[in-house]
Amino acid sequence: MKPLLLPDFCAPRAVLLVLVIITLTALLLTLAAPGPGPGFWGELARRQLFLIWVGLTGAALLCALRPYIAARGALTGALLVLAVVLLVVAAVSESAWWILHSALFNPSALLGRPPVTHSLFLARNLLIGAMVGALALRYAYVTQQWRLNVEAQARARSDALQARIRPHFLYNSMNTIAALTRSDPARAEEAVLDLTELFRANLDERRNLITLQEELENARTYLRIEQLRMGERLRVHWDVAALPMQAQIPALTLQPLLENAILHGVSKLPGGGEVHVDGNAADGALVLKVRNRMPLEGGGTHAGHGIALENIRERLSLLHGGRSSVTAGREGDEFVVQLRFPVVEAPRTNAG
Amino acid sequence: MLKALIVDDEPLARARLGALLRELNQVEVVGEAADASQTLALLEQLGPDILYLDVRMPGMSGLELARHLARLPDPPAIVFITAHDEHAMQAFEAEAVGYLLKPVRKEKLAAATERAQRLSARQLAVVAAPEPRTHLPVRNRTGLRLLRVTDIICLLAEQKYTTVRHTGGEDLVEDSLRQLETELGAHFLRVHRGALVNRAFLEAIERSDDGSYFARLRGIAEPLPVSRRLAGELKARL
Repeated sequence: MKPLLLPDFCAPRAVLLVLVIITLTALLLTLAAPGPGPGFWGELARRQLFLIWVGLTGAALLCALRPYIAARGALTGALLVLAVVLLVVAAVSESAWWILHSALFNPSALLGRPPVTHSLFLARNLLIGAMVGALALRYAYVTQQWRLNVEAQARARSDALQARIRPHFLYNSMNTIAALTRSDPARAEEAVLDLTELFRANLDERRNLITLQEELENARTYLRIEQLRMGERLRVHWDVAALPMQAQIPALTLQPLLENAILHGVSKLPGGGEVHVDGNAADGALVLKVRNRMPLEGGGTHAGHGIALENIRERLSLLHGGRSSVTAGREGDEFVVQLRFPVVEAPRTNAG
Repeated sequence: MLKALIVDDEPLARARLGALLRELNQVEVVGEAADASQTLALLEQLGPDILYLDVRMPGMSGLELARHLARLPDPPAIVFITAHDEHAMQAFEAEAVGYLLKPVRKEKLAAATERAQRLSARQLAVVAAPEPRTHLPVRNRTGLRLLRVTDIICLLAEQKYTTVRHTGGEDLVEDSLRQLETELGAHFLRVHRGALVNRAFLEAIERSDDGSYFARLRGIAEPLPVSRRLAGELKARL
């Protein structure tokens, strides 16, 4: 059962939409049938006043009833919304009729000429309400559908771009574990657990966006495995304590950068080398920097390096639009990659 | 029993392979090396008959090392070991060169040892072809050492040898200049029939009073003659 895609009437955005629809409807009615009253603008104002009562009361009711409606199917939901709209139209029409029929006013002057009967007034308003309500529902449905479509496409693109563990890393890790199983079973067990965690992060498609803390943990897990292979040849220095740990980051953004630093840097240096991970956050932007010494021969950017960077660039840009940047290049004898993107704190949920 | 040398940059990988080989008891493991220069040193010391050689290593790769080994008077047999190097695996299969995948299986290790062979020049040419040279082995009084290609200033053809002038001095190699030219690739330019110059050290092409051309090289005092035919082309590239 597909639920009705109803805008959130508690949000200012939807209330604004209601006001726009009301104004247009009032304008349309007044243009089609200028009333008897004090000219075009007076007529428009009166109809708008009437409709604002309908619109805001309707929005308030739909806001309150939203959970109930959302639990129904699309068709039932749509009919429920229409019923609410008609109910509100009826109530406001009745109130207007009785107020205007009180001693103070002359209803025929205010409600149009020729003077309408009570039932005709009600029926006309209900019919207009049903038509405008149905059109608005259809509009909301189509835009929502379109937005979901765009989001799904962006998500699919982002999923496709997510870094995959390189086969080389998997086979080498398995080789390390095979060796440790003989010599040091406890460390072999640790390595199996680390590798499992890394694969979980890699294969879990529901968790595209994670906190910086989780990504740093992924990176450390990855480095523990590499450390087993490379021993003291790999030296990693962290300076990330001051970062906002709840900031959102696409899963496996930092890890591929470290993998590149090792694959194209440290592992090619006979004596090994340092990898520096620094970060800072200022003015709502987070900057992450990975630096490593470059091997003397075959300098420049490796093709694999470029692909990983391009993926990260695109994933960040899908998330933050033009407000993220990825730069990479030589600085002296080091290769430096810098990520910069806005800090967006993850909503605090207990979903793990 | 055949003497075996294990070459891999990862200590744990060496340890496991050593343990498997000892269990199989087909060969005697006489040593372990972590990179190409250690391998060359141990080769002279221990004279192994068979090498278990990792394809991916820091500095000189296993494939490039194999190419150098093939030039030795009595080269060892080689079993390549790789985690996942697609190009290398393709070449091994095409040329029926023995190789093993990491993590190595004991039975396959036994079979590969059984079939291990010296590589023919043809096999080596294909297997090592995609690897540009990063090092040049030179032999001098202190023994065999690996010269980084980036340290070479120029190579000069002599009668039987080629002189290599580099940042640390001068050495001789047996390879012909033509052979070196194809192996060293685009970083080296031919300035005349008998000289190959590292682009990175080339400072200027100059013309002397009598109309002949010279190349000035960083790190070498006297200029190098340039053939008239190549001078224009070189100037354009500079």
